[in-house]
Amino acid sequence: MDFLDILREKAFLGREFLTWLWFKSEQTGGSIEIDGGKVIEVVFHARMTLDLTDVDTPQIVTIKGEFSELREGLAAIREGKKIEEAKISIKNSENEFSMIIKGSWFSFGSLRTPKTAPLEDGGDEDTEGAFLEKMGLMEEGIGLIDSLFEQFVKIRISDDWDVKEIPKIRKWAS
Amino acid sequence: MGFASRSVSVMRYRVKGNIEGSFWDSIHDGVKRGSYSRTDQPGELIGFGWTSIDDFDNYEFHGASYVRSNYVALSFRIDTVRIPPRILETEVKKERRKLLERTGQKRMSANQMREMKEALKESLKRQVFPSIQVFDLVWDTAASVAYLSALSPRSRERVEDHFKKSFGLSLIPLLPYIRSTEMVATEKDRLSLEQVRSCVMAP
Repeated sequence: MDFLDILREKAFLGREFLTWLWFKSEQTGGSIEIDGGKVIEVVFHARMTLDLTDVDTPQIVTIKGEFSELREGLAAIREGKKIEEAKISIKNSENEFSMIIKGSWFSFGSLRTPKTAPLEDGGDEDTEGAFLEKMGLMEEGIGLIDSLFEQFVKIRISDDWDVKEIPKIRKWAS
Repeated sequence: MGFASRSVSVMRYRVKGNIEGSFWDSIHDGVKRGSYSRTDQPGELIGFGWTSIDDFDNYEFHGASYVRSNYVALSFRIDTVRIPPRILETEVKKERRKLLERTGQKRMSANQMREMKEALKESLKRQVFPSIQVFDLVWDTAASVAYLSALSPRSRERVEDHFKKSFGLSLIPLLPYIRSTEMVATEKDRLSLEQVRSCVMAP
């Protein structure tokens, strides 16, 4: 399969990840434990796009606004939609990041990392140092998403998905 | 916005393919080969290619300035010129009037009109300021991952294509499914992943 076929046939995986992540963050009060005992704090903001393009008639709902309007997101899930795009904040023990994750492409819009140290004299070493610091932070933020995604993939391909996880998600959404 | 900005857009890729011979020599050749240059082709595109990630007007790359530890840090610059349609229409009318007066023709053939319009477009391109777009591409050569500060499909395709032409390597978007295949270790899990289908999450 080339990547366009994959995009067409497997785009649901990214949407199911974001929907599961929202459910998981609500279920655990925002503190999700990953392999190795580390904890990642996840907060979903009131800005998401939900999509029904798994079926024949695409329908998109965009939610932006006050926190309470996340209820509209749940209503959309009850109608069978999944999250295509969501603005989230994630935090580990050291740093906090925010981003808009796009489910189908697994890309990151408006990715904000912690502030980096200002350049002192603008020399080459300083520039390289600032670059490496920024890249390190970016990779750390994306790495946290990878860890959450890995946990999702593990459950998704296991028997527990249909038997345990889906019933919990449906109960949360109802 | 480039990676130096506080808020960035990021598309992640797996870098696939093999480099023959000396790795860093090949990278250097690829950067030079793909460095920014103007193009004389007709159309809106007037220049494209790699530039310094710190200065999009610098495409000399003295001292392999694109190397930052194990990263290759570049920007991809695209210059385009678009002649506003009304301006072109006004100039075409002026030029047509001049030509008919000069030649005494009653009207111009379709061919003449087409040639005149193309010549006018090329002449007007030189008088209009270009639109310059710059996207950062950072290639982690140790992890075979590249990060691109562009999300629009058209921009991404341009960079993917240019990367291939410069280095002979492919940029494979790390879509969720592709990323997930990198996370499963056993054949059983790989098969389970392949067989996963969309599920109903609604109650």
